[in-house]
Amino acid sequence: MQKLSVWDQASTLETQQDTCLHLPRFQEFLRQVYEVLKEMDSNTIIERFPTIGQLLAKTCWNPFILAFDESQKILIWCLCCLINKEPQNSEESKLNSWTRGLLSHILSAFRFDTKEVGLFTQGLGFAPADYCPGLLKNMVLSLVSELRENHLNGFNTQRRMVPEKIRFLSRVCIPLVTLPDIEPLVEALLIYHGHEPQEVLWPEFFDAVNEAFLLKKISLPISAVVCLWLRHLPSLEKATLHLFDKLISSQRNFLRRIECFLKDSLLPEAACHPAIFRIVDEMFRYALLETDGAPEVLAAIQVFTRCFVEALEKKNKQLKFTFKTYFPYASPSLVMMLLQHPKEIPQELWHQPLKHISEMLREMVEDQTHGSYGGPFECWFLFVHFGGWADIAAEQLVMSEAEPPEALLWLLAFSYSPRDRSLQRAQTMTEVKAVLGHLKKLFRSPTLSAKDLQAAAAESQARDPRPPLCQKLIRRLILNFLLWAPGGHVIAREVITLMAPTDELTHEMTGLLDQTLYRWDHLCMEAPKSRKLARELLEELCLAGTAC
Amino acid sequence: MESLLQHLERFSELLAVSRTTHVSPWDPATVRRALQWARYLRHVHSRFGRHVRIRTALERRLQKRWRQEGTSGSFPVPGLTNFQALGRCDLLLSLRLLENRALGDAAYHYLLQQLFPGPGVPDADEETLQGSLVRLARRRSAVHMLRFTGYGENSVLEDSVLKTQAELLLQRLREVPKAEGEGPSRFLSALWDRLPQNNFLKVIAAALLLPPSSPRPQGEELELGTPKTPGQGGQELVRWLLAKSDVMAAFCHNLPVGLLTSVAGRHPELSRAYLGLLTDWGRHLRYDLEKGTWVGAESQHASWEELYGRFQSLCQAPPPLKDEVLTALESCKAQDGDFQVPGLSIWTDLLLALGRGS
Repeated sequence: MQKLSVWDQASTLETQQDTCLHLPRFQEFLRQVYEVLKEMDSNTIIERFPTIGQLLAKTCWNPFILAFDESQKILIWCLCCLINKEPQNSEESKLNSWTRGLLSHILSAFRFDTKEVGLFTQGLGFAPADYCPGLLKNMVLSLVSELRENHLNGFNTQRRMVPEKIRFLSRVCIPLVTLPDIEPLVEALLIYHGHEPQEVLWPEFFDAVNEAFLLKKISLPISAVVCLWLRHLPSLEKATLHLFDKLISSQRNFLRRIECFLKDSLLPEAACHPAIFRIVDEMFRYALLETDGAPEVLAAIQVFTRCFVEALEKKNKQLKFTFKTYFPYASPSLVMMLLQHPKEIPQELWHQPLKHISEMLREMVEDQTHGSYGGPFECWFLFVHFGGWADIAAEQLVMSEAEPPEALLWLLAFSYSPRDRSLQRAQTMTEVKAVLGHLKKLFRSPTLSAKDLQAAAAESQARDPRPPLCQKLIRRLILNFLLWAPGGHVIAREVITLMAPTDELTHEMTGLLDQTLYRWDHLCMEAPKSRKLARELLEELCLAGTAC
Repeated sequence: MESLLQHLERFSELLAVSRTTHVSPWDPATVRRALQWARYLRHVHSRFGRHVRIRTALERRLQKRWRQEGTSGSFPVPGLTNFQALGRCDLLLSLRLLENRALGDAAYHYLLQQLFPGPGVPDADEETLQGSLVRLARRRSAVHMLRFTGYGENSVLEDSVLKTQAELLLQRLREVPKAEGEGPSRFLSALWDRLPQNNFLKVIAAALLLPPSSPRPQGEELELGTPKTPGQGGQELVRWLLAKSDVMAAFCHNLPVGLLTSVAGRHPELSRAYLGLLTDWGRHLRYDLEKGTWVGAESQHASWEELYGRFQSLCQAPPPLKDEVLTALESCKAQDGDFQVPGLSIWTDLLLALGRGS
């Protein structure tokens, strides 16, 4: 603690900008100091830490520290520890007196009124404590209107704020960022555009605002947050990582909750600005690659895209930026296809867009010369944004009585296993087709049993064992079957126990059920029996396993 | 009800005492009682805020007491002045005790323990005394740090201080009971007599220029039971200014020209009075043949430059003020004899100097 004491004395002597850098750490240090001090009485403190007085005094006189977060509170606590209840000698009395002076200073320091003003306010019956909030509000308003004038009129205004002053203002705001009275000023600074080519605001200012925003200690309108992220890339990156932390935590997050987190973070709305979208998308891509296609990341991408599209449509009916700016590596017609709302197409006709999408993707993936569309991974990454289509395809395949269309089979195989070569994919498609064939026979069977299903899904002994991703796809189809087949609810639990004996597989099942329910809600699909079953199964699986 | 009023009286006395050396014999128990009383009154404030009858009774008692204190010779330090203040009475008491050096060590120690209990208390609730005190400290350093920014050296602070004072003035004006018809005027006259006049004039100007939407009472929402319309405070000020010619004269003489023009633009009754005053000044000037300028007969009369400066500013104001001014000048010129030649009528000369002489 002595060492820290020396270091921090030096830092309080430094200039303001360095103080700003150290504010959060200093506050932590003060907290630790308090923890130590509160156990001792006044005399012991002075014995053990003779320099404590100097340290606290220097801190008291530093307006930046007093303005920051909770530092002034902790400082007061520390000073309270120094007060002696019953001073025995003049030394102790002097210490008391000195400490009281410091406490007084913290609470009533910085006189900002002249004698005349003091007489006026007293004459009206007001103490400084009464009008300080109002004064602060007026100062903030005055500064905000100056900034706005500057912003709008540029060189024409007589009251022009010099860039240095604005930079100074941004520095001064750093410790004050979490004080609600200062919010309008922070907003005005973020939105302010000078006429200078370089950034005029202090980078630490952006950091401080971003931190406060992520911790919900400040509330800003979306326009200000967009300005923040556009002007200071590290803030955007931090915000996205902060979101990732929340989404991809160890406990299972249901899609509804993911949607809440996303909307809360303001990232989907901010992503209406293409630059922001591209950066966030890039980070999603990276996460996907790093986790080798983890289902949580996939789910997050899907929900993010949904929220993003929703925000985009709310913003303006005619788009300011074409979709090409958001998805520069994709074929525009494919993007338009993917963006269609299944809700707007009658259910019987869903196979049409599915077919188109499948064909377009297939063309891009199988045609090696189409370098401009980024290759299979890019195609898959784009498709994954709109993963709802794959889910619909899986459902359609199980529900329809007809022969499974090649296009849908390909689409599913691709979405589950993008890295396959055409041969492997063809094999997968054949396997799936076979299983589907069995399932169709069982669909309307009145005497459905778990064994039947097991047989349907069984791998043929003759061929090579199915690759895991193909197994996953088949599990999915079986689950869909259970949800839609008239006799499904009877055997559902038994089948699932057979299908998902391990925790990991149970985890997978709960994910699929959650996804399905979420999709049905958003498509407003009426399917009371299936819904009920899905919900029950989800609840049971959650209670049973550690999957939730 | 009666006990409540008594309690109020006793607490007001306590508050007055808390600033003096009379606190030196206080021990921790006394401090505790004082804080309890404050807490009780605060509770009263939150419970009876919407209860018009009780509120009015309390407010009346407080105002009566405050005015009594006020009329006694020297400047008393005010305590609770209205019902709203009850919501902060514990804060007021705490601050006074904290600053009072006469408070004994043991009592002071106890006070600190009560006010700053430490991290155990969840501070998210803004209502705690600790929270209020700490927030105040934070706001003060915010004011201190922001003061040196903005256009001009100290202007952010100066303008804001004036505006804040104006808001305070209007708030008090709103509270002065209208029942006693002359209430507001008497109140303002009393202030004029007691307070530094230069500052007061500036505050009046600021108050007259406040935006028409109500300046909100410090830190609290507009409460129920304030039936007075927002713009009324301004109206009272205007009425009082028009009634007190000496104040009006000082107002027009001492304040910056541009400010006066703005005020005149906002308040047509004042612009008329202002013009009247200016024409009066004009009539006191005589043409000095030797110097070739208009001079005042006595030293306290306004000079040609002052007169011209004011008219120039007024002519740069947007209509209808500008037109009003020009019309007035023209009619004065006509009354004087409608001279075209300089040196005979001050009005002709003014119009010529302003570039409007025909």
